[in-house]
Parts: sequence; C-alpha cells; structure tokens
Amino acid sequence: MIGQFIVGHEFNLEAIAARYYAPLYRFALSLAKNEVEAGDLTQQTFFVLAQRSHQIRDISKVKCWLFTTLRREFLRTLRVQSAHPHVEFKPEIHDSQTVSADALRALDAKTVLEALTEVEPTYRAAVELFYLGELSYREISETLDIPIGTVMSRLSRGKEQLKALLAAAVSERSQKIIPLKHDEEAEQ
Amino acid sequence: MTNEAAKFLLNTYRPNGADAQDPVFRAALDQAAHDPELATWFKEQRSFDSQIAAKLAGIQPPPHLYSAILAGIATRLPARRFPMRPILALAAMLILCGTILVTFFVEHLSRTASLEAYQKANLTMLSAPSWPQLDLVTDDFSRTQEYLASMKAPRVPDLPGALLNLPTAGCKALYWNNQMLSLTCFRLPDGELLHVFVIDEEAFKSVNPAADFKEMDGWHVKFERCNGMLVMFVSRAPMVEIKKYIL
Repeated sequence: MIGQFIVGHEFNLEAIAARYYAPLYRFALSLAKNEVEAGDLTQQTFFVLAQRSHQIRDISKVKCWLFTTLRREFLRTLRVQSAHPHVEFKPEIHDSQTVSADALRALDAKTVLEALTEVEPTYRAAVELFYLGELSYREISETLDIPIGTVMSRLSRGKEQLKALLAAAVSERSQKIIPLKHDEEAEQ
Repeated sequence: MTNEAAKFLLNTYRPNGADAQDPVFRAALDQAAHDPELATWFKEQRSFDSQIAAKLAGIQPPPHLYSAILAGIATRLPARRFPMRPILALAAMLILCGTILVTFFVEHLSRTASLEAYQKANLTMLSAPSWPQLDLVTDDFSRTQEYLASMKAPRVPDLPGALLNLPTAGCKALYWNNQMLSLTCFRLPDGELLHVFVIDEEAFKSVNPAADFKEMDGWHVKFERCNGMLVMFVSRAPMVEIKKYIL
C-alpha cells in the first residue's frame, strides 16, 4: 500500500488522495456536521499536504498526518467561529445500554453518524478515528497526542455512549411505528 | 487478566482484523477463545463495530470532491530553491565524486552486509510491538498474489512443497533500500504464522545465503533462490512443523 505513495523520491499525492479522501471526508463530516464544510476541510488538508509533503520523513505516517492535519484545520476554523459560540446542553448518557444487531441493521448511515456526533467531545474524537479512519489505538494516540491508556479508556467509554445513543434512536424510531399485529387483533 | 481488563483492551481491536498480529491483544484474544462469557461479549462487540464501520463507510463524498482535491494539489507552489554560490557548488561536487568512488570500491563488501541488514530489518519489523498492518487481510493465497501483482511487488514464486496450499493471513508490499519487496503471511495449522518475504535476487546477486534454517532471536530463518527471486522464510513455529511445508 505504502509503496504506491512514492514515485522516485517524491510523494505520489494523487495516489494518497485516492486512498484517503473518502475516510477523511467522513471524518470531516462527523466533525463539522456539514457537507460543504466537510468538503472544504478535506480539500484544505490535501492542499496543506501538497505544500508541506517535504516535511514528512516517514511515508508510513502519512495517514496519521492527514487525520491530525484535518482535525487541526477544523479546530482552527472553530476558533475563528468562537466569537459566536453555540452552546447545547445534552442529557447525561448512562452506559450498559445495548442495541440489538437487527435493530442496528435497520438504522441508516445518517442516523449512525448523527449518533456519533452526539458522543461527548472528550471521547468522540477517538471513536471517530476508530470507525471512520480505521486507525489503530497507536495511530489514534499519535493523532490526538494522548497516551495509549487514555485512548483505550476514551474508546471504551465513547463506544458505550454510542451504543446508548443508538439504542435511544432505535427506541424513538420504534415508537413511530404502529404495530400491525396489534391492529389486526383489534379488528378481530 | 480479568475479563474486564480483557474487554478494555479488546474494545480497541479494529473490526477489519488489522490488529490480528499485534501482540498487545494476544493474551486477551487467547482468553476470549477459552472463556465463553468473554467470547460472547467479544463476538457481539465485533459485530457491533463491523456494522457501525460498514454503515459509516456507506457515506459517499460528493462526486466532484476528488477532482477538486487534485486541482488543489496541482496549484501547489513549486519547491523553494536557494541559489548556491559557486564555491559551495564546487565543494559539493568534490564530496559527491568522493562518495561515488568510495561507494564503487566497497560495493562488493557491502552486499553481504546488506543481506544481513535486510534480514535484520525484516526481523525487527516482525518483532516490533506495533506489528505493521497488512495491506490485505485474506485467507486466499491467490488474492494476496493478485494484490501484490497490482502493486508491482514481487510475488511468491512456485515453491516446492505444500506451503502454497496453506491459508494466508494476508500480505503487504514494502520498500527496503529503494527496492520493492513483498510479505505474504501463511497460517500454519498450529496457529503460528510463516512469513515469506520476496525480493528480486538482483538485490543480492553475489551473495550465497546458507541453505538451511538458522535460528535468530527466536525466529527460524531461511533464504532460498527461486525463479529470479530471493525468498526469506521466517517463523516462530517448531522446525518439525515448518519442514512439513518447506522442502
């Protein structure tokens, strides 16, 4: 995989873009919650790569570098927007909730992404990189610049929260459906 | 290790199986294989992770995004070049000529050393705590070879013995010393892996490696020339097990 990222002594930026633009876009979408902004962040990340590729000494780190850069770009835009902060209070999420495989199968990607963006920010970045970037715990540790133990802890708690949020989404969805069997029994 | 500790670790095990070779997970995976309660939890966890990853992977970027990225890359500034004073240019030229001459005279000696360095690099990679993730994870040998061919990496030559009938763990294309090589990992029936590195024999043409297995840092290692390729076998499995598959 890594071999195709180098041509002679230069990075093959097209090959790198082809491999990573989709997972980076999904990661950007989970951060920005906005398709236009996600597209802009992804483009900006590759533009920064094109300008600074000579600073990357180890091609095997390019994946981490891209996710780190995209997150930094997002945080930078966030700081610009912080003059008008939007504060939202969310109910506390309790763990140990489960969502069945069948119920999960019925959910669409948008619902799953929305649930992911509802995970507490402290845990969310690790969970996003785990699912959207397929980064290992070591790569997440490098990308977020936090110890490996913290990554494991955040993943554990973040995934519990995600399960709880998905269980809530399933429950909300099921309440909107009128059970057919009940109606038939009523008619009889 | 308690089940809670194992769960804590296994929570970070990626759904695509890319962590299968990471020794950090070995004890927890072994425990999950023998503890029914942990096994059930792990199975559910992996199913959940796989479904979430698959659903999120279904989100497609806008169709124009890739071409917009390429356009952005194309507009990058050319690398900055510094004017070099003539005296510095002359000094650089002299150093370059000296380097070329020295390189020319020590080339033969360095080939032997290079084979050792190559062997050491491969063993270091396999022994590292962060074992590199495979490019392709599959039990199908033919798929690994198709992938390596697509990457223009050397494929495993037609070796005698039953090795090529074993299921694989996956493969990876690598670079060493500006030379492309490949790694294909086979699963032995006892659960151990047998790693096969393949590189063009031109890289070490003048070197005749030992014909039989040697033990190095707990690994059994053997080199073999076959169809223009230099093949390096590496495994921690017992020799009696390895020799069933490699003649």
